[in-house]
Amino acid sequence: MQFYSFSADYVQSLCAGDRQAQEHFAAYFTQLLQLKLRSRLQSPQAIEDVRQETFARVFSALRKEGGLRQPERLGAFVNQICNHVLFEHYHSAGPVESLDVEGRPEPVAEGADAADVVAARQIQFKVHAILLKLAPRDRSLLKAVFLDERNRDEVCREFGVDRDYLRVLLHRAKQEFKTEYIKRAADRIGLGESA
Amino acid sequence: MDRIGVEMMNHSEALQQMAAERYLLDELTPDAREAFEEHLFDCSECALDLRAGAVFVEAAKTLLQLPELAGAAVPSPSRPHKIKRQWWLFWLRPAFATPAFASLLLVLGYQNLVTYPRLRAAASQPRLIPWAQLRGAMRGGAPLVITADREHGVALPVDLPSQPNEGAYASYSIDLHDPQGKLVFGSVVAAPSESDSSPQRLGLVIPGAMLRNGVYTLAVSGVAPNGERTVIDQYAFEVHLID
Repeated sequence: MQFYSFSADYVQSLCAGDRQAQEHFAAYFTQLLQLKLRSRLQSPQAIEDVRQETFARVFSALRKEGGLRQPERLGAFVNQICNHVLFEHYHSAGPVESLDVEGRPEPVAEGADAADVVAARQIQFKVHAILLKLAPRDRSLLKAVFLDERNRDEVCREFGVDRDYLRVLLHRAKQEFKTEYIKRAADRIGLGESA
Repeated sequence: MDRIGVEMMNHSEALQQMAAERYLLDELTPDAREAFEEHLFDCSECALDLRAGAVFVEAAKTLLQLPELAGAAVPSPSRPHKIKRQWWLFWLRPAFATPAFASLLLVLGYQNLVTYPRLRAAASQPRLIPWAQLRGAMRGGAPLVITADREHGVALPVDLPSQPNEGAYASYSIDLHDPQGKLVFGSVVAAPSESDSSPQRLGLVIPGAMLRNGVYTLAVSGVAPNGERTVIDQYAFEVHLID
């Protein structure tokens, strides 16, 4: 499977304000940053603040001479900037100071349109089918962990399984779902295409 | 790019350690989480893997509330699997069975050596039983106190009155109620013949085993040919049991 890789051209397109590249960037890193930040920040507003500040600082840094020496490591660069913003957020009573001084409109993922709604329904349909195929006990296990958010150790004890069982259960369900997800994600953010 | 003190995870390690699953399950230590994130932002394959997992989990959270996906009741297999025993077989356990069988042997021995010979003697030999004269409860007054023991019980005279009119009663009913008001004995005897005008006296023997302390009530009723009952007399007596 060929996955997306960042390149100097991609970074150059971003800096030049290429709309397609900026949309891809926003869609790709919004999801990753949200995953990263949700375990560290309590409120959705704080997550959004840190994400926006991260994007602003990344674009600001990319536009500077020598801002990113290894374009293929753009992802790691975004992560590093996010860590800095997060660090400042923790140690700041008020909102972090924005570097988005130029007031340039920030590229954000577009709102839900008809295609998004259809894609979301298809994803739900696929997840429903996967869950339905699971043993009732495994569904109860997933519900206890993810929906009820119960203590993992306690849940494993109750179900007579260990943590490995839980990981493998999630892994198998995720792998089955991934095929469908790739199909949808490729349409959204151009996965599989070269930058 | 790697942060100081955090060693970046490579792709093989991420797969081998099921880092994406651990990340979704929030099982990674802070250092491991940062190491995986360093790799994650740099590896589109792991990023895709994690995003797919996250989308699956989010969708599952909603869908698992649906009735058709409601799982089975949470089992309790935390305890080691063991053969399920029927509760009523608990008496087969040695801790219970040994003293239980010993007690049973004692009971059997007592019955064979004491109870049965005494019952045989009681059934086959004449014996004297205290005879108490009853006073009618319907006439008021304190009930007669009868002192009895469990070995002998008590004997009571029951007088069947003469019929007020010829053929008024086809039979008499004698009912004994214990101190709790429960009917413990009931019998129907034929009414004396029309030529016999004198009252008829019967003896009611109450075995000691069924006696208990308290006030008993004995009712004598006349039963008409049509089945209608009329209480003719009622006696009350209080039993005091002695060892």
